[in-house]
Amino acid sequence: MDYTMEDTQNSAPDALEATKLNSAAQRNDTQSVTKRLQAELMQLMLSPSPGISAFPDADGNLLSWTATITGPTETPYEGLTLKLSFTFPNNYPYSPPTVLFKTPIYHPNFDFSGRICLDILKDKWSAVYNVQSVLLSLQSLLGEPNNASPLNAQAAELWDSDQEEFKKHVLARHRDLDDE
Amino acid sequence: MISTYPLNAGRQRVFGSVFSPASLEARPPLASSLGSDQTPLASFQPNSSFSTVKTGSFTSLQHEQSAAAPLDREKWDQAWSASTAFLAVPNQGFAPIYEARETDGSEALKEWSRLSPPSKETAEALSYLTAAAQQGSTSLGATTPKNLFDWYGDEIRRHFLTNLRSGLYKLLKNPEKEGLLRTIVDCLQLARRIYLAPVVHYLLPLLPTREQGRVLTQLQRAFHTVASHSLPWSTISPLLGGELAKDSLIILGIDTLIEQSREDESSQDGMEVDRQYSVSYEDWKNETSEVQAQMMTEGENGRVTMARDRLLAFLNGLQLVGLGGDKAQKVFASVMNLMMTEFVRAAYTRQWETPTAVPQHLQHWIENVFARLAVQVLAIIHTPAPGSQSPGSLDVSFGDVERWQEIGIARLGALRTSELFDIIVEWPASSGAVEDLRHFTTHPAARAHVTQSFIAILNQRLLHPGASTVEILQLYISIIRAFHLLDPKGVLLDRIARPIRRYLRGRDDTVKVIVGGLLAEPATADAAALPSTNDTLVELSTELSKAHQLSLQNNTSELDWDDMNWVPDPIDAATDYRKSKSSDVIDSLVSLFDSKETFVKELQTLLSDRLLQKREDYDQEISVLELLKVRFGDSALQACEVMLRDISDSRRVDAVVRNDQGLSKPPARIHAKRPLNQPLPELHAKILSRFFWPEIQDQEFKVPDEIASLQDRYSAGFEALKASRKLTWRNGLGQATVELELSDRSFSEEVTTWQATVIYAFQSTDDDNVTRTVSYLAEQLHMAATLVRSACLFWVSKRILVESSRDTFRVLECLPTDDEMEADASGHNSGAADLQSGAVSNAAAAAAEAAAMAAAKETAEAAAMEKMNLYWQFIVGMLTNQGAMPLQRIVMMLKIVVPGGFPFSNEELREFLAGMVSRKKLEIVSGGNYKLVH
Repeated sequence: MDYTMEDTQNSAPDALEATKLNSAAQRNDTQSVTKRLQAELMQLMLSPSPGISAFPDADGNLLSWTATITGPTETPYEGLTLKLSFTFPNNYPYSPPTVLFKTPIYHPNFDFSGRICLDILKDKWSAVYNVQSVLLSLQSLLGEPNNASPLNAQAAELWDSDQEEFKKHVLARHRDLDDE
Repeated sequence: MISTYPLNAGRQRVFGSVFSPASLEARPPLASSLGSDQTPLASFQPNSSFSTVKTGSFTSLQHEQSAAAPLDREKWDQAWSASTAFLAVPNQGFAPIYEARETDGSEALKEWSRLSPPSKETAEALSYLTAAAQQGSTSLGATTPKNLFDWYGDEIRRHFLTNLRSGLYKLLKNPEKEGLLRTIVDCLQLARRIYLAPVVHYLLPLLPTREQGRVLTQLQRAFHTVASHSLPWSTISPLLGGELAKDSLIILGIDTLIEQSREDESSQDGMEVDRQYSVSYEDWKNETSEVQAQMMTEGENGRVTMARDRLLAFLNGLQLVGLGGDKAQKVFASVMNLMMTEFVRAAYTRQWETPTAVPQHLQHWIENVFARLAVQVLAIIHTPAPGSQSPGSLDVSFGDVERWQEIGIARLGALRTSELFDIIVEWPASSGAVEDLRHFTTHPAARAHVTQSFIAILNQRLLHPGASTVEILQLYISIIRAFHLLDPKGVLLDRIARPIRRYLRGRDDTVKVIVGGLLAEPATADAAALPSTNDTLVELSTELSKAHQLSLQNNTSELDWDDMNWVPDPIDAATDYRKSKSSDVIDSLVSLFDSKETFVKELQTLLSDRLLQKREDYDQEISVLELLKVRFGDSALQACEVMLRDISDSRRVDAVVRNDQGLSKPPARIHAKRPLNQPLPELHAKILSRFFWPEIQDQEFKVPDEIASLQDRYSAGFEALKASRKLTWRNGLGQATVELELSDRSFSEEVTTWQATVIYAFQSTDDDNVTRTVSYLAEQLHMAATLVRSACLFWVSKRILVESSRDTFRVLECLPTDDEMEADASGHNSGAADLQSGAVSNAAAAAAEAAAMAAAKETAEAAAMEKMNLYWQFIVGMLTNQGAMPLQRIVMMLKIVVPGGFPFSNEELREFLAGMVSRKKLEIVSGGNYKLVH
């Protein structure tokens, strides 16, 4: 099993420019990243949190994952299934993963291409965060958007003014991603 | 060494057949009218220059005379018609030639009037014409329409095509191929004589010497062309190949080898023939070196000599009629190629002894037998290249012989390569064969060939589910040793080992077998004198104790800059090839696994099994552990260390606790009946540090009260001794000595604790037969029903209980007497009855065992289910995020993401998923994809 893994790791698409700088140490890094991600996965499996789930992508590459958040109750997103993609850099966990919403979503802090405005994914990132904590943060963000720094100003406005209308927008925008 | 004699003999034969001495003598003197008297006949013989020179001078004289004669057109015409009439070949068809092919030919020649001397006029006409031809076209110009020799060449062609060709065709079509070519060659030879006899006898002497050769060659070429034209080479070459093969098989001694091996198969004795001449390796290697040297060069037996003569004569004929030369050489080469392979196969198959002399024998054979035949044959069917070698020179150089020897070694290598698997199976008895192979694997291509074909054989014969892991490991060990001899650098081994190692990693029980082998008792292995029994690799434990000193000494890495013996890796080494200094078997096996952890974990499990057995000492385990510590370092084996410590410590602690708690009063149990208020049973405990021991599968049940109270006292004593530690009792592991008093017998044996607990439940004071059902016992003892049943069946096999009805057991207080048994058996004698009862108890024992297995399996399955739950989490996560997936992909993903790998097969997972489908947690959507039900 380790053989296949090694192969795929060597050909891992490098998501960040940063990897080019430390390509010499890349192999070792990749190995420790893999270990870390495996441990995170194990933790997710052993103590699953309700409403969130994540798993590596089917191409056998541990550096990209797909996650699922179920919309928390008593929010406009209740009952919706939201999919996200995680792309881990080669120096994870020292740099944050790139997280995107795959499901179209209407939310003050997420733009229409699924980009996320969340401090812990940017300058506030720390190596103690992990997939689970990122997902939990996003889950709570669904219920309590940070309207101070909106990516989607209209949504921010609407959230404050008209929750009913907001929910309509959310449902209009939402589209379940088909299973492959 | 290579005698030139046969060459000369060959040549003499060639000329003998053309210029048959008989016909020469019968030749009448040449026409005296030309003034040339008894000059010795100029035979076309380049090496007898003496006579040629002499006649040359004479003919030039004649030449001048005839040149002086006036050339007259009419005279020329007359001479022409006379000569052509004389020379013309009668159209007699093919039949007479075919009939006469086996005679010496003189009869036929007479019959065809090819030897009758020309009449005077004809002779004159001939000499006139030749003279005219000599002067050539310069003086005659257009007036001479033709050259007589050109005409005769055409005549040969015409005659051959009209008379012989169809006959030869018919011959060729003959389905009987045996000796067909010989017949054809005989016929052609006769035809050739018929054509050339008059020319040689009457025409050539009229010519000057230098012309004689040219003319004869010209006519011969005419004949050769037409002959080879009429006989398609595609038909001839297989025939020729067959002929060559038939005789060379005998000459090269291959046929005797094959016969010998056949005889060896049928009968081993009666082979005491005194062979002076033999190419057999078996005979050869038993001789002294002097005899060895002579064996192949001297004393050919009659059969071989005969075959050789026959072949050479045949080839002479072949060459004469123009079927030799280049093409025949090619056929010969291919036949010899085949012979080489055949010889190597016949002579050396399964000759694997050490020390090996096979390469020497082969070289000897090639030099003395193979090359000899090649020289002889090539001398005959040489290509008549213009200005070619002087007659004494050899067609075969020593360089060629050396090349042949190389080829022979390569063939030997190919044979050994194909045998390699069997060689390794028989290792170490077959190390000689590996030595042979060393001569072959000198360049990268050969090495690549060896490894590739061996890997192919391995895949076919070893790495399949039919072979047990022990077998594979056993063979792998042999391979390691054999290839270490073959290639001390280990590059070949490195390449061979990869597929094996990959395969072994895929096997579940590899670790178990290796660890089991390591822990096996080497002493028993020596005693049994067997390399390995069927289920353990005891060899490993011997290896372990033997090899560890070696491996310690030179553990220098690549970074040893002072290593003056350093050489670069061989060029065909793989990029990630690492040189291992020693052929350390244990290292190779242990390094099969990516981490020592797997190995250590298995070692722990096995060790725990062995340590929990009740034994006097654990020296074997301790020594193995010490040896492994040297290899792996202390830290890796810390847990095992602790386990051993636990066992030795608990002995001490046990004594102290029992002393403190007053448990060790000598119990008065000798012949004691066992009513309830009897002295307490003894209780000993092994105290294990839970953290360091592998998970132990345990059967939970309630021990009898008096044992439980003992346990409590023991625990109290232990806690008093070690304040911060607590005892948790593992009731299922352990042994109990059970003594039973039945009304007619007593019983005492060491059994497992759960078996003891079950039989304890049958205890009674009164004489009633106690009857218990399995379900009652299970409830009372908090024990799994399967386990209860298994214990009951165990006691049935001991003839303590009987199963009165399904799942209901009763104590067998009195054994049925022999009489009763006899009554039961109705008519059988008591011996048979005993036998029967024996069979009954055997069957019961087997049933008990099966039941115990079932119980064990049940607990194992429960544990597996526990694990499956974790995998289920993975599957849910996977299917939630990645959408529906087919089974294959699920398995693949699990293998990647589950730490330590996914231990279940596709089938097991399919079953598990099917279970989930039936529980409505999953559904199967289109394309066999599994999807979560929301």
